[in-house]
Amino acid sequence: MSYLNQPDYVCYVCNCGSLKPISKIYFCRHCSKIRCGYCVCQEVDSHYCPNCMENLPSSEVRLKKNKCSNCFKCPCCFQTLSTRAGHVPLRVVPADGEDSKDVKTTPKKVYYLSCSLCRWTSRDAGIPDQSMATGGWPEQENPHTSRINTLIDYHKILASIEKQQSERKKFRPKHPYMQIIYLFSFQAMFRITSAMVRKHIGHPAKPTNESTDQPSPAVASTEVEELPTDIFTEPVEITKITTLEQRLQQPDVQTENVNELRPQHRQLLVRRSQRCRVCEHNLCKPDFCSQSAKFKIQLAAFYHVPEVRIVTCEPLRPGKSSELLLKFCNPTQHQTQVVLLPLDTPMTPILTLVDEKEEVKQDNAQQGSESPNLLPSIVRQVPVVEETKSIKITANADVVLPQNCLILPRRDDAAEYDDTGDTHNFQDDPKFVIWRKGNKAVIKLHVIPHENLEENNNQPVVIGFVMQYRYVNTITTLEHKAPQKLDLKVKLYLTIGNIVGSA
Amino acid sequence: MSSFVNRRTNVKIAVGALVCEESILKGDITIGPNTIIHPKASIIAEAGPIIIGEGNIIEEMATIANRLPVDAPEPTTIPVQIIGSYNVFETDCTCEAFKVGDCNILESKAYVGREVELTSGCIIGASCSLTESDTIPEDTIIYGNECQRREMHGKPYPPISQIEFLLKILPTYHHIRKPNIVPTKNEGGL
Ligand SMILES: [Zn+2]
Ligand SMILES: [Zn+2]
Ligand SMILES: [Zn+2]
Ligand SMILES: [Zn+2]
Repeated sequence: MSYLNQPDYVCYVCNCGSLKPISKIYFCRHCSKIRCGYCVCQEVDSHYCPNCMENLPSSEVRLKKNKCSNCFKCPCCFQTLSTRAGHVPLRVVPADGEDSKDVKTTPKKVYYLSCSLCRWTSRDAGIPDQSMATGGWPEQENPHTSRINTLIDYHKILASIEKQQSERKKFRPKHPYMQIIYLFSFQAMFRITSAMVRKHIGHPAKPTNESTDQPSPAVASTEVEELPTDIFTEPVEITKITTLEQRLQQPDVQTENVNELRPQHRQLLVRRSQRCRVCEHNLCKPDFCSQSAKFKIQLAAFYHVPEVRIVTCEPLRPGKSSELLLKFCNPTQHQTQVVLLPLDTPMTPILTLVDEKEEVKQDNAQQGSESPNLLPSIVRQVPVVEETKSIKITANADVVLPQNCLILPRRDDAAEYDDTGDTHNFQDDPKFVIWRKGNKAVIKLHVIPHENLEENNNQPVVIGFVMQYRYVNTITTLEHKAPQKLDLKVKLYLTIGNIVGSA
Repeated sequence: MSSFVNRRTNVKIAVGALVCEESILKGDITIGPNTIIHPKASIIAEAGPIIIGEGNIIEEMATIANRLPVDAPEPTTIPVQIIGSYNVFETDCTCEAFKVGDCNILESKAYVGREVELTSGCIIGASCSLTESDTIPEDTIIYGNECQRREMHGKPYPPISQIEFLLKILPTYHHIRKPNIVPTKNEGGL
């Protein structure tokens, strides 16, 4: 949880070159590589309303313009409106001294929308109360509907023409009537009227010239309406004029007066899944049910890559050695060994200890090139391979890296509650490993900040190293039946503090 | 004990008002009928008397204070703080306004400074703070983290049913200060 609130002290370098804390990166088990939000395919899984949690299929979402038909937000402060029940205000006017108690009417239950934050109600806007709790609230008419529809229709025609042209280039029909056949197939797709088709055949060479279907273009005008004369004399009533934000929340109307604000349908949110761009496997897939906070697939690095935390660091002085304590934690079900290497270590993964010898060659050939084509090609996004970004952070302190490797036992949830003490017997160098419990260990390093660092320029001290860790990949493929053991490397940059005093 | 406190602080409680023993009352205070003061609410008449009208609800940790700014010069007349009727002071709000009308609501953690006048039907939203000299027009709601203002369609209803409920329920769990004036005279027994 602290990862969400505090600055990123320990950053892992993703394969795309971005620096991320461990809570924000994924680990692709198929490529055995770290991926982050920038270098995965983001896919929309489902649409849902954040208020009523209803899941909607994407075809319906398009029809409803990405909005929930049942939930409204306040046009004033944009909170969700709630439905309130009230009684019809008894508008009994006692006529000429007559006692009003004689005219007794049974109050009818009515419903109106109300905002609990700014106390806006649909009654404020003059919207009549509804007799049903579910609504039937009047829809706001978009004043530009007809213009928008004409433009959409026109662009449908343009799309069909474009498609037809590209198609014609492919087939080059010899007879003119073949065009008609092609056109009729598009007609089904784009719903072009036969009149349009006829017109279109008339000018097959230049289809975009002035046809009557082209809607009149929008004309820019330099003339602006005169301001009303009372704008200089009447005091401005700021509470009656809508704010810019309120206008932009209803872009079709952009009303100026507060009492013309109408409740807006709540916008839907999406659930996304993340897919590795290289191997096209899912890295993260949420449960389809919008109420559930679980995941079907969650390959967060947090569950696969050793986590590094800064325990303490002695005051840092330029050119002087300070002790730095780091805690390593193995989140996997397999024992791992961690070796710390200098930053200039080549980053290629080393495959070791494979049970069958021949697999070594095969695997090297297949790393990164294998693509299992999990989706039909229409759905699949064309993977965009980006160039690796250069790392913008530079280490300004040297770390004395130990030669020893640190062995971390597998995670054992039961051991968390076991107070009897650890039964491991690792031959640790007490100068290197300070503390050990279960799958966690604290090591001691020595940091020497560069001489040119000064106390006052607020430049944090950054160290960097490459962490090589043993990873057991339990994914079995046709080629590899047995789990593979890999020595993977990841670059880490740690912000360990500020310079205190001078040398 | 309570009569001693009352004498020392000069608190006038009208018949029908419900003032809990654990409320903190300091100075010259007049409390009108049907007004409910919860335990741990503070009313501090430091600079001058506080007159509270009818049917107000002052909840826990709410503070109504008649106090002058620290660096203010000695006033020539004694400032009187007047609270009208059917106002609701929600939990942990602070009201130093010298004049509060009727049917106002100060939501939780709201702050209204001395130089502010609340007319009537105003709602000061949760955590909104008014510090500058101002007169809040009728039926204004101030809400949100930027203290946006809006004119409401009507006044909030007087919290009659809540007052009735509290008049019934509070005496069964708390010690109540005895009313000491009969409000047959004008408003609040002045
Ligand atoms: Zn990345
Ligand atoms: Zn909804
Ligand atoms: Zn609102
Ligand atoms: Zn992958």
